[in-house]
Order: sequence, then C-alpha cells, then structure tokens
Amino acid sequence: MERILTRNVGKENSTSLAVYEAGGGYQALRKAVKTMTPDAVTDEVKKSGLRGRGGAGFGTGLKWSFMPKEVDPRRPHFLLNNADESEPGTFKDRLLMERDPHLVIEGTLLGAYAIRACVAYIYIRGEYVFGAGVLERALDEARAKGLVGKNILGSGWDCEVWVHRGAGAYICGEETALMSSLEGNRGYPRLKPPFPAQAGVWGCPTTINNVETLANVPFIVERGADWFQSIGKAPRNTGPKLYCLSGHVKRPGVYEAPMGLPMMELIHELGGGMLRPEFPLKAVIPGGSSVPVLRADECEVDLDFDSLAAKGTMLGSAGLMVMDASTCMVAAMERVAHFYHHESCGQCTPCREGCGWLERVLHRIESGRGLAQDLDLLMSVSRNIIGNTICALGDAAAMPCLSFVEKFRDEFRHHIDHKSCLAGTSALQGVC
Amino acid sequence: MPKVVIDGKEIEVAAGTTILQAALSEGSEIPHYCWHEGLSVAGNCRMCLVEVEKAPKLVIGCYTPVADGMVVHTQSEKVKQARAAMMEFFLINHPLDCPICDQAGECKLQDYAVEHGTGVSRYTEPKLALNKAVDIGRHVMLDQERCIQCSRCIRFCDEITKTGELAFFQRGERSQIGIVPGRRLDNAYSGNVVDLCPVGALTLKEFRFQTRVWYLKNTPTVCAGCSRGCNVVVGVGQQQTLMTTRGQMDDRVKRIVARSNEAVNGPWICDEGRLSYQPGAAAKRLDAAESPAGTACDWDAAIEKAAGLLKAAAAKGALAIVASPRLTTEDLFAWRKLAQGLGGATFAVRRLVRGEDDRLLLRADKGANATGAEWLLGDTAESAVLDKAARGEVQALLVLGDNLDPADTLALDPGVRARIGAIVFAGAFVSGTAESATVLLPTTAWAEEDGTIVNFEGRIQRVRRARTPWGESRPGWKVAAELAQAAGAAILPWTRFEQVLDALAAEVAPYAGLDADAIGLLGTAPASAGAGA
Repeated sequence: MERILTRNVGKENSTSLAVYEAGGGYQALRKAVKTMTPDAVTDEVKKSGLRGRGGAGFGTGLKWSFMPKEVDPRRPHFLLNNADESEPGTFKDRLLMERDPHLVIEGTLLGAYAIRACVAYIYIRGEYVFGAGVLERALDEARAKGLVGKNILGSGWDCEVWVHRGAGAYICGEETALMSSLEGNRGYPRLKPPFPAQAGVWGCPTTINNVETLANVPFIVERGADWFQSIGKAPRNTGPKLYCLSGHVKRPGVYEAPMGLPMMELIHELGGGMLRPEFPLKAVIPGGSSVPVLRADECEVDLDFDSLAAKGTMLGSAGLMVMDASTCMVAAMERVAHFYHHESCGQCTPCREGCGWLERVLHRIESGRGLAQDLDLLMSVSRNIIGNTICALGDAAAMPCLSFVEKFRDEFRHHIDHKSCLAGTSALQGVC
Repeated sequence: MPKVVIDGKEIEVAAGTTILQAALSEGSEIPHYCWHEGLSVAGNCRMCLVEVEKAPKLVIGCYTPVADGMVVHTQSEKVKQARAAMMEFFLINHPLDCPICDQAGECKLQDYAVEHGTGVSRYTEPKLALNKAVDIGRHVMLDQERCIQCSRCIRFCDEITKTGELAFFQRGERSQIGIVPGRRLDNAYSGNVVDLCPVGALTLKEFRFQTRVWYLKNTPTVCAGCSRGCNVVVGVGQQQTLMTTRGQMDDRVKRIVARSNEAVNGPWICDEGRLSYQPGAAAKRLDAAESPAGTACDWDAAIEKAAGLLKAAAAKGALAIVASPRLTTEDLFAWRKLAQGLGGATFAVRRLVRGEDDRLLLRADKGANATGAEWLLGDTAESAVLDKAARGEVQALLVLGDNLDPADTLALDPGVRARIGAIVFAGAFVSGTAESATVLLPTTAWAEEDGTIVNFEGRIQRVRRARTPWGESRPGWKVAAELAQAAGAAILPWTRFEQVLDALAAEVAPYAGLDADAIGLLGTAPASAGAGA
C-alpha cells in the first residue's frame, strides 16, 4: 500500500506549507469549499466508511450528520480535534502533528466545514510541547495564506483554528471532559445526554474527532469514498491505519498499513519480529492499555474493529504492546492499574475508589503478599466497576484486569502460592 | 404523560420526570447521595443505579428520564448487587467513626450500609487519612475524610448562593473538598451545606457535639425571622440533664434546620434564621409577672392591675396599643378583641424594615406577620401613637411584643414616657420599654407557641409549639383573654389556640373556612393582602 497518512513523514521540511502544498496539500480543502456543500462532504465521509481512530470506532460521517443542519447564530458550531493522546502504548497522533501538521490542519478545516463550524480547536496534550509548537507555526503559515481565518480561499466561509494546550490529564481525552477542560473547568466527564452535537462546548453543537480520523478526511475528499473503501476490509473496516508498536519487538514505532492488517504481520514483518529470539511472544495488548489482553495463541487476528471484537478485545487506538515470555503479567497489570489509579478523575464512586483498590491488590500479589482470595477479589471489583461509571475510564482500568487474571491466572496464582514469579522478571525476583 | 412501570406498578408522571423522582412520587425511595431536589444533577455517586428493560447496562435513576412504556426494576438482583458494590466502594475510605460523628442517626452512609451493604468489607488496605475538623467558615466545620464526594455542597455554593467558596482538590481517590484558598464559607446561607451533607463531613459549629439527634424532639414550624416565613424544623433537646437528679429534660432548642416548601423557601433557610435560637441572638427573657417593672408579683394581681389601668384609659378614650408585627395572628386578634371589649383604643403596628431584600430568601421586613397585622389592625405606624403620647393624649399604653425604640435597644424617650400615665408591657424579652413599664406580663416567644402567621405573599402558615413556655410566660391570646375577663369585657375564655383560630376564621376574611388541619404543614395558597376583616 502506498503511504497515505505518512506520505510526508521523513521528507525534509515536512512541516512547512510549501512541502505540504507541493505534495497536493490543501487541494481537498479547495475542492470542498469551492465545489461541495458541507452535506456533500459529510456524505462522502459517511460513504467511505471511515470510523473514528480515537478508540471507539464510531462512524465519522454519521457523527457529523448528528449536527444541526442550520446554524443558530447564538449557538455557533464547534469542531474539536482531540489531540490529547494519552493512552499508554499510543503515539500515532504525535507523529502526524510533529511531522505533518498541515495534514492535521487541513483535516480539521474539512471537518469544521462539514459541520458548519466557524471555530475549531486542536486540544493537545500538555506534554506534547514540541508538537504544539509545530502546529502553531503551521497555523500561522496557513493563516497568512488565507487557508485559515476569514473568507477561506475566497469561499466566503470563515473558520478560525486554535491550538489549546491541555495540562496533561489523561481524562481530558474523554470527549466531555475535554470540553469541560476547554471551557476552563475541571476535567470532569459529563453525563450524556445531551450529546455534544446537541449541547457541547459552551452549550453549543460540537463535534469531537481524533487527530488521525481527521487526517484521513483530505484524502477521502480528494480521491473519493470508493478509493478509501478499497483500502482495508470493506465495508466496515476501511482506509489506512496507523499502528503503534511497542514492547518486545525489534523495531517499535508507528506503522501505516491498511485497516485489517494481520497482527502477526505487523509484529514480525513491519516490527522486525521479537526483540530477543529466546523469548517467544507471550501476549499482546492490541489497542492501548485499556483493552483486554490477548494471549499468544489468540494473536492470529486481523487488526480491525470487528475482528478484535470477535476475540473479546478492541482495536482501540491501535497501540499494540507486545510482551514476550520474560514478561511478568502481574507486574505488567500492576503497572497498567497504577496508571488508571493515578489518572482517575475521582468524580464517580466506582472508578475513584475501585481503581486504587485494584492497584493495591495487584501490588500486594506482585510483592509476594497476595492472598488466596485475591484473584476472585480482583475479578469482583473489576466487574463492579465496569458499566457503572460516568465515562469509560473505569472500564479502561477494569477490562484489562479481568483479562489479565482470566488469561494468566496460573501466573497470578504462582505469585500468591509461591511468592515467586514464573516469568522471572517480577520485582519478586529480588526477594525470593 | 408517559406511563412507566416501576417494580411492577404502573404510574403516570409528567414528561421529563426522572426515574428517581417518579419512584419518590410513589413513596418508594431509590437510594441516592448526590441527587438533591434543589440542585443540578451530578450523577456521580452511582447509588441510584436501576435496571431498565432493554437497556444494555444499569442506568442512574437521578438522571434518566422516564419514557412511555419504560419498565424499571429497582429491586432486581443486579441492582442489589450494584448497590452493595457501591456501598463497599464508599466505605473504603470513609472512617467508621460513627460513635463520635454528629451525623450518626441521620447518616445516609450508615442507613444505606445497613439497608444495601453486605455488612463486610473486603478492603484490607489502609484507609486514606485526611484532615479532621477543618474550620472553613463562621458556622461550618469540615471533616475531610468523611466526605463521599457527592458534591452537593459545592453545587450549593455554585448554584444557589453563587459564591463558589467550595471546590474539589486533587483527583481520583485523593479528591477532597475544601475551601478555595483565601476564602471562607461565610455567605448568609452557609448552614445549608450542613443540611445537605449526607454524611458527617460538614457539621454546624453551633450544633456539633451538643446532643445526639435521636434525643431531639423535632417540630415542623415556620421561622419568624423575617416576612419570608421559611419552613423549618425546630429540634429541642429531650435528653435528661445530667446536672439534676430529678429527671429534668433538657428542653432547649438545639438546632433549627430547613423544611422544604417549594412555595416559600425551597429546601433552604438563611443562617440568621437557623441560629436565631442561639444565646446572644435574643435578649434576656422575662420570667414572671412584675408590677411595677423589677417588682415580682402574683400573676393574677398583675392581670388585675393591668386590666384596671387599661379599662380606665379606654373609658377616657386615652388607650393606645402598639403591636409587634411578629405576633401571631391569633394574638393580634385577641388583643383586638380586648380593645373592642374595653370600648376602643388607638392601634398601631411597629415597622421592622431594615436594609434591603436579598435575592434569595432574606427579607428586609423582619415583621414575620406584618401582613397578618395589617389585615387585622391596618397600617398605622407606631410613630402616630408616640406622637399622640408626646402630646399627653395617652393615659395607658399597651405595648405588645417588642420594645418601642426602632433600634430595639434603647428605652422609650423619657420625655414621652413622662407624659404616659401607665405602660403595660406584654412581651417575651427584657427591653428598655419593659423596664419602664408599670406592669409586665411575660408572654411566650416563638417556638413556645401555637398560632398562625402570614408571610409577605399572603401565605398563612402555622407556627407550632416546640418547647415548653419560659418561666411564667403565657400565650398572648391567653393574656388578652385574662385581661378582658378581669376588665369585664366580653371575650371568650379561650384555653386552646384552635379556639382562637376558629373565632378568627369566623371574622377575618382571608382566614374564612380555615382550621389548623386545613392550613397543614405547608400553609395555604397566598391570600390577597388588604382582604382584612
């Protein structure tokens, strides 16, 4: 497959407008604002089958179609580009923002055009200091050339784009918490309904899309939905996809491939195979740390929304974390739990109290103080969190815990019974 | 209107009603912490999870509106299991200090733990230790570790008083409520956060450690602090006092809390009303009948003397009466009957307007029954009577309820006093006027009397006796009746407030057809002002 999303990555001055335009950049925007109505853009994206790349996999065109068709001047429409990439194992949006910011900006503008927004925000994670600077410089260039701001490309359509730097809280990547944060409030998720398309940021109709999602839009507008559909596993898993590969592989990094790339192909061919041949593949978290883990024997699977769902896990943000046989699954899960414990916003009870509890029990097992009943306790606490919280952060902590304990129960049991680690890399090795 | 089936029972409710409200309207409760009738929905406690058929997972009752045909289960195994789970989560970091916590007996955490919890916690790790007894305002103390993060208090300060003193700090399980740096919780309604708090995280300094709530006798009544007439509950101590061996009951007002009445005060009251029972908020009480002031005498002798003075002055057309707008309508009615029986008097009603109304509840007019007084006695100001007295045209002045001076602190102008033959003072508190009176007749104060008052909107509401009358004090209507009998005036020998109310209802138009039951706990719909007798 040709490089689509990453076509400029690696080019000299890839962040400049000149390089971007030389490769055909902003032609899609030109085409849209001069020859297409917003609804036509939405329909094309809907037809392409593009699904959100932030994790949920919701149809992008369908999401846009929820926005009001008419704009009430007292309630302008907003597009929020969710660049708060914070999921452990996920770093694909960073690549786009740092290496090809104009693609991000063009996608943002096209999304804004489709939903009739006059302002778009790129809400970027606080730690992405470099990426935010790159985006701001690119925006200045685009603004100077009439691509952003008043009367874009002489079309009569005005749209301002702002980069908003978050403060680095994971929860602010949740779309309603992102809106609260953007409004200057504490990053707390909101109850739904109302959904953002009804009452989003500042009470106005709002659409929130992921960076990679919007980066696909210029290509769909320029080359058409049929072209997009021809990539990947039509009809529900289409288009190019950025996969983040980390862990025990030789060449970790971001790889572009069609949606539905076989996982083993990504690991062994693109990723160069396992880091140390003596340690075979043990497990993979396929979609960022919040999704259920797969054992090695479950890894013959295609990397798309539906194939992974059939395996009881999720594509999520496509952040694959590869673990070889040297990995202590108790220690790994403890690490995951520590993250969600730390990042829970504390608003609702099960997540606030449950995430800490999970981490403490896991820590107890990991450090050789586990009790026989702890595995049942972990399962029970996880189940009491799942589905009972305001947002998905609680699920994000509990789902991996359930799957780790279910799929690697022997290893957890060994920690408890023998105060030692089967894998041999646990902190227990120092005490046993 | 949508019909919803809750636990097998079909009910019809207004569109937009939530599952929780629908259940409450049927008298069945779905457990909840963060939801409060007067505040926005937070949906964070997750205690009101219920099962809705065809929904993929449990939903929160406080936020989910009913839909036509919806079938809700609030007692299914799935729901019970979720509630038990939430209780287990809540109790992870909540200290079990019920034996010293002032919320014991009224603690929703305690109640729900018994009703919905498993009785056992599987959490064996150390609890978080946060700050105890943090002084956050003039009246409110905060015990941070007892907080269950329901955010009611924060929403109150944001949405009701709009003062925003409270906020969450930190995040996750480290979250804690606290006061915004540099601020104090000193708004005029701060005590409401104590009423709101479902656990013992926020307590009232004035009530902390004063008594156990199960020792309180709670009486629903109406605050007499201003013309709003907020609905309150007065809690009077019923614990045997330790200082005596005769089994005396405490019988002091221990606290006043809000009682919800959507038409008057919603679920809130001001701090001024809440703490009106506090020593220092009121002057010293009159204990016994005196004649003259400072000379104790037999009650009957005092009545005899006062009746003689009033009768003689009335006969000469030189009797004047100044009434407090705080008196119950029954009292005012009885005093009016007395004046009529004596052959007439010049009536005036005090003005107690101070400052301006605030945008929430507080009224500048501190005359709790100013409307009732106007209905019965017209709107002659006290200055008219005092002017008359200054001209030497008042032989006897009957002062009812309040001191005469506008500031309520100074004695009657000596020049004016010298021109008045006699002053009969029937009131509850020591004052300058009382000290210069010829006869003192102690009457009951608010919280010691039954009666009705009319708020500024014309709503007739009942005040109820919450504690036994102070010393020898008697209800004003009773004193009026005794004076009338002693003076030979035609007035019924009332012995119960209901009898006065019946007579009042027969004569005063806005009260027509009313009795104590008809007025009920929430009062009547406002009657039009000026619709007097």
